[in-house]
Amino acid sequence: MSDIIFELQDVHYAYPGKFPALCGVDMTIRSGEKIAIIGANGTGKSTLLQLLDGLIFPHHGQVTAFGELLRENSQVDEKAAHRFRRRVGLVFQNADIQLFCPSVREDIAFGPLQLGVAEEEVGRRILEVAQVLDIRHLLERVPHQLSIGEKRRVAIASVLAIDPDVYLFDEPTAGLDPLTVRHIIDFIVNANQRGKTIITATHDLHAIGEIADMVYVFGQNKRIIMGGTPDSILNDRSFLEMNNLVHIHRHHHDGREHVHQHLP
Amino acid sequence: MSNALNKKRDFIEPSILSALAFLKDATLSEEYANRKGFLQSLDPRLKTLSFLAFLVTAISLKSAVLIGTLYGFCFIFAILSRIPVRHFLVRTLLFIPLFSLFMVLPTLFSIVTPGEPVCSFHVLGLNGIITRPGLDGAVLFVVRIATSVSLVVLLSLTTRHSELLKVLRVLGVPQLFVLTISMCFRYLYLFATMVENIFTAIKSRVGVVSHHRHGQNVVAWNLANTWNRTTQMSEEVYMAMLSRGYTGEPRLLRVFHATLKDWVWLCCALIICAGLFYRGQIL
Ligand SMILES: Nc1ncnc2c1ncn2[C@@H]1O[C@H](COP(=O)(O)OP(=O)(O)O)[C@@H](O)[C@H]1O
Ligand SMILES: [Mg+2]
Repeated sequence: MSDIIFELQDVHYAYPGKFPALCGVDMTIRSGEKIAIIGANGTGKSTLLQLLDGLIFPHHGQVTAFGELLRENSQVDEKAAHRFRRRVGLVFQNADIQLFCPSVREDIAFGPLQLGVAEEEVGRRILEVAQVLDIRHLLERVPHQLSIGEKRRVAIASVLAIDPDVYLFDEPTAGLDPLTVRHIIDFIVNANQRGKTIITATHDLHAIGEIADMVYVFGQNKRIIMGGTPDSILNDRSFLEMNNLVHIHRHHHDGREHVHQHLP
Repeated sequence: MSNALNKKRDFIEPSILSALAFLKDATLSEEYANRKGFLQSLDPRLKTLSFLAFLVTAISLKSAVLIGTLYGFCFIFAILSRIPVRHFLVRTLLFIPLFSLFMVLPTLFSIVTPGEPVCSFHVLGLNGIITRPGLDGAVLFVVRIATSVSLVVLLSLTTRHSELLKVLRVLGVPQLFVLTISMCFRYLYLFATMVENIFTAIKSRVGVVSHHRHGQNVVAWNLANTWNRTTQMSEEVYMAMLSRGYTGEPRLLRVFHATLKDWVWLCCALIICAGLFYRGQIL
């Protein structure tokens, strides 16, 4: 079997009402890779992850996953759909959307139960993932009443319970406190070391050194404008600045003003 | 600024916000369900069954005194379940007038329930006479409503929503229907939270929410906008379900364990109901 997981060729996608979201994306992702997709807001990162997760389909061009073309009707066959779902898991950008069950426990159980895992095994997995993500004390709570950091961890747990080969993370660290960010980055790195393929959309440049060996930058034209190792991209400051990816900070030091970019 | 204007200004915000707070609290808070009390400790399935039995009893009995006895039991259960009586009363009493007045008013009058007049009066040239059977019927009706509402409130106060929903499943309500109800709860909560956030956001920018017509427009626009956002969200939620393997038939966990205590409770509940029915036959 080839180790290519996803192959995208000239992928175009537009939302109803002709809002273009992806305009010609080519990409190849291999098993066990750590990929980061970076780009300013609205450059199509979430759209790309939804395409990779087989939730939406390109209007032009094609997406191949595990050697099979992803098409609208390939999801009609329940067996094929389940096979795909067991291999690919998406942690949505908005945890409020991802968590729709009446309790955390049921939300974690939802994926495995849908995919035909036996109840006993599901019970075991719930405890295990709750342990890994440190949410055991939240199991009986109502998901939408949790804090944003707790929600994010529950959202990750609900995907971890499926134990997919490929994890898609949509801005997993946005809006979280440093400790939770640390926890989530460690989780991602750890999963990759266990052989999982990781694709993370983010605009958190601090993290990409750890969560990626390959970085693709999306531009306002909604296509890849640069690809390379994290180092090569982080060192190209004028490029990052041009693409709205660095904060420019203005400080006062000893009464003198001092401008610098915010980079790791 | 003039007093009148201030009053007008403050009007929209507190009323909407407090209504929302009440709605959230009344329908969505699980504070009491999480307390360690008697009813909370029971298996949700048998508890729901026993409350159904109580409810049927309250609806079928024809004596206000007997229904009142059941009402008394509600208070004992509430106290055993560590629900403050005042809180319990406020909750139930808030729903009762709405319910009962609406339905009782016409039956009070002689046109609907003929009989011996208790008093008569003239309003706007209309002749109204309150009759004895009409009044008795009204009392029975109010007690019945009060008891029924109390039972429902007590059950919902002491059971987590997620468990109530699961009970529906166990009692044979289709899964999709249950999932829909659970989503409704979620949207209600999200909707309430969003509206609250919008108010806070406007307030932080404008200082005070809304006076004059402009303020009202902002409120209306934001409500519409919020509604759009919630419906768009439901599409995205569907995607999230697909992403985790949903193919049209949700499978949910079942984790109930009935113990001897639960069965004893159900028996006691049935004995109470039977006793009340028996008394009702004699009277
Ligand atoms: N549901 C939608 N309807 C219409 N346009 C959308 C929708 N979601 C995203 N878009 C548009 O698609 C483009 C890419 O969005 P998105 O993939 O969410 O970007 P990112 O995740 O990088 O912020 C944006 O221009 C956005 O306005
Ligand atoms: Mg996004």
